[in-house]
Amino acid sequence: MKRRKFVRNSTLFSMGGLLIPGVFMSSCKEDTLFMSVDFQGKVLIIGAGVAGLYAGYLLKENGINFQILEASSNHGGRVGKLSTFADFPIDLGAQWLHGNNNILGDLIKKSKTKTSLDDSALQYWFNGELVPKLPQDINIFEGDDLPDVSFQDYATQKGFTEEYKYVVETIAGDQGASASRLSVLNNNLEEENWSSGEEDYKFEETFFDLIDREIASKVKDEMLLDTVVDKIDYSQSVIVVTDKKGNRYEVDKVIITVPITILKDGDINFVPVLPSNKINAFSKIGMDAGMKVFLKFHSKFYDQNISGGRVSAAYADDSVGKLGADHVLLAFVMGDQAEVLTGLGNDEAITNALLEELDTMYEGQATATFVSSHVENWTTNPFVRGAYSYSPVGIGDARKVAAESIEDKIYFAGEAMNVNGHHQTVHGAVETGYREVINILNSVKK
Amino acid sequence: MRFFLMITAFFLTFLQSNAQEIRFDLGYNYLSAPEWDNAIQTYNFSRPFLENNQPLLMHGLSTSGSYLFRSSSRMSHGVGLSYSYFRSAAKNENLAVSLNLSLIKMSYILHLKTSKKEPKYYFDLVVSSVAAGLFRSVEPYSSDDSEARAFGIGGEVAVKAGYMILSNGQMTLSPFISLGYVPYFFSPDAEASLNQTKGLTSKRWTNMLTGEIGLAMSISKARAR
Repeated sequence: MKRRKFVRNSTLFSMGGLLIPGVFMSSCKEDTLFMSVDFQGKVLIIGAGVAGLYAGYLLKENGINFQILEASSNHGGRVGKLSTFADFPIDLGAQWLHGNNNILGDLIKKSKTKTSLDDSALQYWFNGELVPKLPQDINIFEGDDLPDVSFQDYATQKGFTEEYKYVVETIAGDQGASASRLSVLNNNLEEENWSSGEEDYKFEETFFDLIDREIASKVKDEMLLDTVVDKIDYSQSVIVVTDKKGNRYEVDKVIITVPITILKDGDINFVPVLPSNKINAFSKIGMDAGMKVFLKFHSKFYDQNISGGRVSAAYADDSVGKLGADHVLLAFVMGDQAEVLTGLGNDEAITNALLEELDTMYEGQATATFVSSHVENWTTNPFVRGAYSYSPVGIGDARKVAAESIEDKIYFAGEAMNVNGHHQTVHGAVETGYREVINILNSVKK
Repeated sequence: MRFFLMITAFFLTFLQSNAQEIRFDLGYNYLSAPEWDNAIQTYNFSRPFLENNQPLLMHGLSTSGSYLFRSSSRMSHGVGLSYSYFRSAAKNENLAVSLNLSLIKMSYILHLKTSKKEPKYYFDLVVSSVAAGLFRSVEPYSSDDSEARAFGIGGEVAVKAGYMILSNGQMTLSPFISLGYVPYFFSPDAEASLNQTKGLTSKRWTNMLTGEIGLAMSISKARAR
């Protein structure tokens, strides 16, 4: 090849080498969704729980007009904080970040929020004594070909005797459910979708502080507290929402983020009535009673985690990971046990029942060192009425049906509407918040 | 990586003794995978608290080695092995995330030269099986971040055109351009690696379009004889 020809060819290919990647790179690829969407309508978010707050945060960031209506006097939903009970703040609701490979894990890192890995040791209350290990491994609720029966029935089928009943109750209680209702099959299917990580993290402050500082603070100006929604009329192109005080809100889209119990109980009147498959889906999603009872003692006599109690299936040392000297034990009571304790009628009776059980476990030390208690009963909270959603026997695809939007007008978010296996979690609620904002913008793009 | 190098070394040693032509390619790679783009865009959209967006997985580098069997006609055929690496990195204050995609392809090549003697152009039709690993690495790292990895498989059909600009009889340098299509089936964890959740991207597979531009160096044994 002659020199001139070589130089010419080289020049041509060099130019091609520069131009062609440029052509590729400019091939209509944007790295941001909805850059071209210009939505001038208004969005109403019902519920200032984490899903509603996050949806509002995203709408605000995208310059979209919105308002949040909250039935209670506080934002945060089932994430709450009490600073006056101990010398460290306690989490009244959600307390653990379940895995940090999720959006809140990112937010925690970004905001340098202090968390610690909660890997505290576990003791079982079994046959009247505290033991570090059960005689028989009860890790039977994962695997293939599991039946759609309850945890309790499945344990019985597998030969676990009555002594294991409350250990099974602890396992189901983690899912906010009674073991007699939680489905082995559906719970396992949802666990298979879990992608957030296996570790649990506790906050040096509280979960509420993170949500309040990093999310709620961005949307506080658009929030109306003590506003209970009565009716949603979506029969016309403009949606009319009416609250219990008679105030009307005319909007283009509504995101409903209330707990599933509120939808199941029909607290909100829809005009026209919601489709029957939707109502049926709501009814299939479980949400059992749940409460957290904080017990403060003069000294620490208890183990870090206790599983298998008859009154409360799970106790946890609430001081772990906190900056403070007070000794606080948390009774994490779910399902049937929460119903029984709620039935006692008052906080003192609930506290006494728990102290009695702890006295049995620790030879009277509970009552002897008891200082005070705080009962946070989510079941009797009129705007929550339970702990968090779970998948009972026969749930099928109810979550997916429940989460579908109606006529591109009414959208559903909140932990119960998470179809990715992250229901029951705060980060799962956040995911539904941004999912529905994306759905709204996609509907506008159409 | 060690395994890959050993296989490559063995492959080249074995083939050198029989080859009509051995070719080494080095190039810039462009990738378009709509489902993954959507997942990364969702990640960016959902995290306004990050000042810098995660770039789409679209730019990479690739290297390959191929062996073409001896042929008496303008058409020959051969086999090849290639490795491509794509990276998307976003550094935000207190949080740096990088997505790393490695693609390995094993290929069958149909090779056509424009003439038997002193050809200027060549064209390849390349059919490959593709295996890939997608990894999300995070700084600061925590134990749960090790969850973010995903694998997948696919097949590729690609066409490649090269122009020989320099030849000394045994060694040839040729810039080339290549376009390929890959239907790629990924594990559900791919979405969890890209946007930390599952189910927001509906499909379990994505179309991939690949483009490559680079330089190939060919060593021909036949002409030396």
